[in-house]
Amino acid sequence: METVMPMYRNVIGWYLQRITGGLLIILLAAHFWVEHFMSAELRRGDLSYEAILKRISNPVWQFIDIAFLLVALYHGLNGLRNIILDYSRVGRHTAQALTVAIVGAGLVWAWWGIDAFRNL
Amino acid sequence: MSAFAVQARKYRDQFSGMTAHAAQRVTGLLLLVYLFLHVHTIRQLRDGPAEFNAALAAFHSPVFKLLEIALFGTVILHALNGVRITLIDLGIGHDRQRRMFWGYAVGFGALIFLAGAIPLFLNSVWKP
Repeated sequence: METVMPMYRNVIGWYLQRITGGLLIILLAAHFWVEHFMSAELRRGDLSYEAILKRISNPVWQFIDIAFLLVALYHGLNGLRNIILDYSRVGRHTAQALTVAIVGAGLVWAWWGIDAFRNL
Repeated sequence: MSAFAVQARKYRDQFSGMTAHAAQRVTGLLLLVYLFLHVHTIRQLRDGPAEFNAALAAFHSPVFKLLEIALFGTVILHALNGVRITLIDLGIGHDRQRRMFWGYAVGFGALIFLAGAIPLFLNSVWKP
């Protein structure tokens, strides 16, 4: 098993990068629509605290936005990890340390983003 | 065929895949940097309406509007080229991956970009 598992892990990572990429196209198109076109004031470009609050005070929107952030963070940080590992020759332990560091950064970043909604 | 056209074709035949690969990575890194800045801005919601609207006001300047338009283009190129990569992974279009990059990701992407960038530019930068 031990020699097989890392291979499966790579395949899962490869699939997830495509799946999250596809999700991001849908979520991002919806995000553009919601933030720039959905109401007349947004179409004029008058994005304001009040306009954002009207939407984001709804827990369903908070859930959607947080899920969006998590998918984007996975896709972006996994991409960053792929790039770093591609341009460096490192052993297994260094690669694992990099993964731990990237996951750690992702968790802090996710908390940092979710925390933005704390006082709403 | 002009000398330039010959050079362009030579470049396309040899380096299209590499150009697409590098473009995907550069745009990906740029978008990750943008995501950081974006979360930083949204976090200013915590400071209340006055501070947040003051922070937003800075983004209404023409310089930031041009950056916003550049962001739009970066997203389109990364997304369309990402679809191209996925199609190639699925075994679709191996024999026309070069055309898919220049014609579809860059060419079709430029059309979508202009469709969004021109109204954005006229509404916020030039204001005729």
